[in-house]
Amino acid sequence: MTTTIGLVVNPAAGRDIRRLTGGASVSNNYAKRRTAGCVLAGLTLADDVDVLVMPDSTGLADRIVDDAPDELGVEFVDMTVTASGRDSRTAAAHFADHADAVVVLGGDGTTRDVAQTIGDVPVVSISTGTNNVVPTPVDGTVAGAAAALVGSGAVPAAEATTRHGTIEVNVVRAEQTTVIRGLATVGVLDRPFVGTRAILDPSDIVGGVVSRSSPAEIGLSGIAGGLVTHRPDDPGGVGFRLARDGESGATAPTTVRAITVPGRLSTVDVAEHRVLDDGEDYAFEVDRGVVSVDGEREHEVRNGTVRLRPVSDGPRLVDVESVLERAASDGRFRLG
Amino acid sequence: MSTETSSGTGPDQTKEMTIREAIRLALREELERDDDVFVMGEDVGKFGGVYEVTGDLVEQFGEERVRDTPISEAGFMGAAVGAAATGTRPVVEIMFSDFIGVCSEQIINQMAKNRYMFGGKTEMPVTVRTTEGGGSGAASQHSGTIHTWFAHFPGVMAVAPATPASAKGLLKSAIRSDDPVIVFENKQIYEQKGEVPLDDDFTIPIGTASVEREGEDVTVVATQRMVGESLELAEELAGQTSVEVIDLRSLYPMDTETLVESVKKTGRLVIADESPLSYGTHAEVATRVMENAFYSLDAPIQRVGVADVHIPFSPALEEEVLPHGSDVEAAINRIV
Amino acid sequence: MVVLDIETEDGQREALRRMLTIRAFDTKAADLFSDGELPGFVHLYVGEEAVGVGACSALESDDYITSTHRGHGHCIAKGLDPDLMMAELFGKANGYCNGKGGSMHIADVDAGMLGANGIVGAGPPLATGAALTSHLKGEDTVALAFFGDGAVAQGQVHEAINLAATWNLPAVFLVENNQYGEATPVEKQHNVQNLSETAEAYNIPGFTVDGMDITAVYEAVKEARKRAADGEGPTFIEAETYRYHGHFEGDQQPYRTEEDVAIWKDRDAIESFKRRLVDAGTITEDEFDEMKAEIDQQIEDAVGKAKDAAYPDPSEAYEDMFNAAVPEISDFSSGMRADGGEDR
Ligand SMILES: Cc1ncc(C[n+]2csc(CCOP(=O)(O)OP(=O)(O)O)c2C)c(N)n1
Ligand SMILES: [Mg+2]
Repeated sequence: MTTTIGLVVNPAAGRDIRRLTGGASVSNNYAKRRTAGCVLAGLTLADDVDVLVMPDSTGLADRIVDDAPDELGVEFVDMTVTASGRDSRTAAAHFADHADAVVVLGGDGTTRDVAQTIGDVPVVSISTGTNNVVPTPVDGTVAGAAAALVGSGAVPAAEATTRHGTIEVNVVRAEQTTVIRGLATVGVLDRPFVGTRAILDPSDIVGGVVSRSSPAEIGLSGIAGGLVTHRPDDPGGVGFRLARDGESGATAPTTVRAITVPGRLSTVDVAEHRVLDDGEDYAFEVDRGVVSVDGEREHEVRNGTVRLRPVSDGPRLVDVESVLERAASDGRFRLG
Repeated sequence: MSTETSSGTGPDQTKEMTIREAIRLALREELERDDDVFVMGEDVGKFGGVYEVTGDLVEQFGEERVRDTPISEAGFMGAAVGAAATGTRPVVEIMFSDFIGVCSEQIINQMAKNRYMFGGKTEMPVTVRTTEGGGSGAASQHSGTIHTWFAHFPGVMAVAPATPASAKGLLKSAIRSDDPVIVFENKQIYEQKGEVPLDDDFTIPIGTASVEREGEDVTVVATQRMVGESLELAEELAGQTSVEVIDLRSLYPMDTETLVESVKKTGRLVIADESPLSYGTHAEVATRVMENAFYSLDAPIQRVGVADVHIPFSPALEEEVLPHGSDVEAAINRIV
Repeated sequence: MVVLDIETEDGQREALRRMLTIRAFDTKAADLFSDGELPGFVHLYVGEEAVGVGACSALESDDYITSTHRGHGHCIAKGLDPDLMMAELFGKANGYCNGKGGSMHIADVDAGMLGANGIVGAGPPLATGAALTSHLKGEDTVALAFFGDGAVAQGQVHEAINLAATWNLPAVFLVENNQYGEATPVEKQHNVQNLSETAEAYNIPGFTVDGMDITAVYEAVKEARKRAADGEGPTFIEAETYRYHGHFEGDQQPYRTEEDVAIWKDRDAIESFKRRLVDAGTITEDEFDEMKAEIDQQIEDAVGKAKDAAYPDPSEAYEDMFNAAVPEISDFSSGMRADGGEDR
């Protein structure tokens, strides 16, 4: 039986303005290519593996395919390249029907794009981006091996994946409603434009809803994490709103320290926070602002209502370590 | 390293110094006179220049205004053009004129053309100092005499001092000029001494030649090292042949009038310049004399220069190709 | 003139106006060229408007820019007058360069525009120089170099960035990655996938922004300018963009398909910015149409005026070589050199 693994490598990840404005490190494409090479090497842990690679316009995917180990059958997904986040969604939609597992190299943004259309296919997400909440930095070979084990069924997906929560966003303006999906965090910012996308200034944050929170995470989930810890697979999420410019809420604000962007330990006043049930609305009235999704400004809002709601129907994320440990305890790493 | 003084200047006071010292004096005076003037080049600062021309200037003016550059001739020549267009007066040192090839783009397409292309709407007060000439066993890539290239190229002025006084006077005019001027310094004569006016407003107008010795029988138009050797020769021949020696000084624009006057008097012309003979500086002088004093000529014009070969390394070969006073003598003997 | 500042609503309308002006100017230039009315050749900026206007809106008016062969957009973004630009394209005496420069050399040094440039890669050293002036004179001006993806392969661009980085000069290096150098796609010219990766070699920040989003370019240059003015040195920005026309007018474009172009046109910078402003109520559809009609008329008028303007007198060919006149040229133009002046 052939195992089919999808591979998404976002050539744009880790190249945004945070290299200037934040302490974000650089992930160059040579490093991504090396990591992808490691993933392919890791995939050879299973026999008879086909790999479907998302094409891109930069030549990165070409090189990854050229350098692939001979024992893998490697092909491009047949799709039109737009050099935008749309590509990851298109590729993931294809993988939803054709792949047994998917490996994603990118950041929160790439993982979210994949999550939109991947359905139930298990996802191994490797961080090559900036300050990421969902994907973690893990060696490509290890990640590839985990994908091979889950994809081939050697380790049952049900036992080694967790279902990540998501956040549904409705931006309501007059008669018109725009629907957006976030994976880990959705924020409302006091900035007029999407601009360079990154959240440049923590003082722009008005509030948001997160599907996970921990003080170990950077950004909105870190702010919420200073108050409550919410695991990615816990149902519901956390909504909060900051006290801004002397505005006062019903209760006195709680002052929280949080890592808001890399290199920046901020102090923020939280006017209100609430643990939200699955499907429970948390709304913001916005005159002029931007909705950020998974750390990136995404949608400009003028005179509208932004309704946020945690929904537990996110991607199945592979826990790399437990896959490998489970395989080992099944004796899969012993020869003879 | 000796240092010259410029204190206690009376209007006609002079001091004996070397060409090297005269150039440094000119730089010092212009750096003192105008804050917009700055010097840049490879090792012109702490190290004092590979031919010790800039010497101790950095101590007086600091590293900002006597600026060491990386080995990036194109980069800093271009920076000089951009700096000049925006209000400073850079004096750039290109260590050896042989290296000008790597930055000639910025000279020929930017420095030389911008004023004209922009309809006269920019100034271009760049001075380029560079070294020329064989005689030190430096071989073909460090010994060339290339001034014809730039004397030929429209939009740059080119001067070539032969004496300490002209070294000072021409360089000061170059720095004060709002046009780009390249100063070609023959490196064999840096130690040559002479009286130099100490007046800190002493300049020599670009475009003027100088009759260094008057004579009746033959005119020798010489440049750089050949001026000194021709003067020595004239002294030796005194009583026998009366030689008029003209220091051309300014290659472009050229003082046609002074040359023509002289040839109208002597009827004979020898041109002595270390350039290769074909299509060169010699040809330009000869043509101007032919155009303006053809009927005064009593004999064919003689050229003394380098046959169209590069400057070889071996002292035996180098000596063979370089022109000397003896070659001027032979030329005189052919026509007088 | 209205200040180009995307932070304000007036400034946003002005940004839109300038993008539209660029598009109208260059679209007109294309027509004029194909009708054989313009001498030489023209490289058009249509499609890339957000980069020039976004960048210039983040600059102060006395900041400097250097440009490229594709310079009309930079000129308009920097606030140059389309009338005088058009006159220059026609080679008329009242053009920015008195007709001596043409499309590829429009300059207005007083306005901080240090020249379009016919030499690929020659601009960045000039920007380094302008930044050096600022540094030496203790001014607070910043110099921004626009250059193409193709230029990134030029040695002198490397030298310029290295100099500016090593000397910590107030410069911004802005690559307009329009995906091609002439007919060669960027991936056939560079071994890095994002040109901003090259910044790592100079130990300066480098990042990539969406060059089809004026607000992204604006914000990026704003941050880079701030960093430069604060004495923290240069920044390398790559703006991903696309030219809709061929490399030059008349280019058959065998290197790309209409679908390739359509993908980018889908994200058209003017259209998307306009949509956002309409959405925000900053401008109405009617006002937009009015603005566009006004600009089209302005460009028509510029063409009319340029056509009516006088050519330079032939004697002007002998002017402007130097600040100081040289006899070589003045004698030639007055016929003296031919005559020789000697009695037979
Ligand atoms: C030094 C030099 N080499 C070649 C050319 C010819 N040429 C003009 S434009 C161009 C392509 C430039 O590409 P890019 O820098 O990406 O700018 P774009 O045209 O895409 O705006 C070339 C090769 C030139 N003008 N200068
Ligand atoms: Mg290009």
